[in-house]
Amino acid sequence: MSSDHDHDHDHAPIQEAPEIDEFEVLETAVRELSIEHGLFSAEDHRRFSEWAQSIGPTGGSRLVAKAWVDSEFKQRLLADGTTASEEIGIDWHDPTGTGTPSDYTYFYVLENTPEVHNTIVCTLCSCYPRPVLGMSPEWYRTPHYRRRMVRWPREVLAEFGLHLPPEVEVRVHDSNQKSRFMVMPMRPEGTDGWSEDQLAAIVTRDTMIGVALPQVSWTASAAPSEPTSSA
Amino acid sequence: MSANRYEVLDAAIDQGDSEPVSGLPQLDRPPSPWETSMQATCDCLSWRGALDALERRQAEDELGETLYAESPVHARSTLVAAHLLMDRGVITPDELQAKMAEVRARLEKA
Repeated sequence: MSSDHDHDHDHAPIQEAPEIDEFEVLETAVRELSIEHGLFSAEDHRRFSEWAQSIGPTGGSRLVAKAWVDSEFKQRLLADGTTASEEIGIDWHDPTGTGTPSDYTYFYVLENTPEVHNTIVCTLCSCYPRPVLGMSPEWYRTPHYRRRMVRWPREVLAEFGLHLPPEVEVRVHDSNQKSRFMVMPMRPEGTDGWSEDQLAAIVTRDTMIGVALPQVSWTASAAPSEPTSSA
Repeated sequence: MSANRYEVLDAAIDQGDSEPVSGLPQLDRPPSPWETSMQATCDCLSWRGALDALERRQAEDELGETLYAESPVHARSTLVAAHLLMDRGVITPDELQAKMAEVRARLEKA
């Protein structure tokens, strides 16, 4: 790999060390001492950092799709999300599985109905059900979302393009260190006979945060070939 | 978990990048890379059995309302993990202080 860096930039190279945050110093010291004492390895740390950045919402999509086709599973999932997750291989308690110990907590699945629409937020920081949804989207961590969703949920949902009828109650669930939530959207019409995999494809991240509804022609990775509704 | 004050942590709080404490953390700041790294450190400590994540979270709740009530929320995982590791004698205040000096010198080197 070349170390040449002779192309133009419209900014000056960094010449001086940035201002140092003492908490960054503390974090680095704790991590390096932990490694020196054999509490974990640098490789462990790299792996967990990579894991946190690479997991996606696949687990959540599978949970919802399975619940849509298996009413008994749905009841188990709604009664105890933490335990029911194990049925698709997500163990919130086992750090060697797809769970992560920092998410060792209670997981609740919130069912949308014709009368109630759920959505999740974390007003304190950015708590999020990582084992089933991956890393939170950037907007989830913004003050715009966190501050306003609990006060004016319909307004914020409308900004996402989700306009709910006034008769639908909107419930906002505030996550915290001990409780994580995920929304189970309603199965859309036009999906009769679909396989779990087909269904999982339309259960996108945003539908499980509660800022969108599943659409039969939209998946997380593919838009319809032409518009299906007016703008 | 002890209610000990550790001078090395008090010094970090005094010099740390703190925001005024007004009940809620500063809402418009993006997490720093070191905070993401600390998350992985907490994951590793729990995974290897050195410091259970739920135990640390409960300590964060408790110490966050007492000893570290004036410290920024985003720094509490770091403070509390260090606090608990010192409580257990896994690391000593002196070696933490020495390591912090070493890290600081490294970061200050332009």
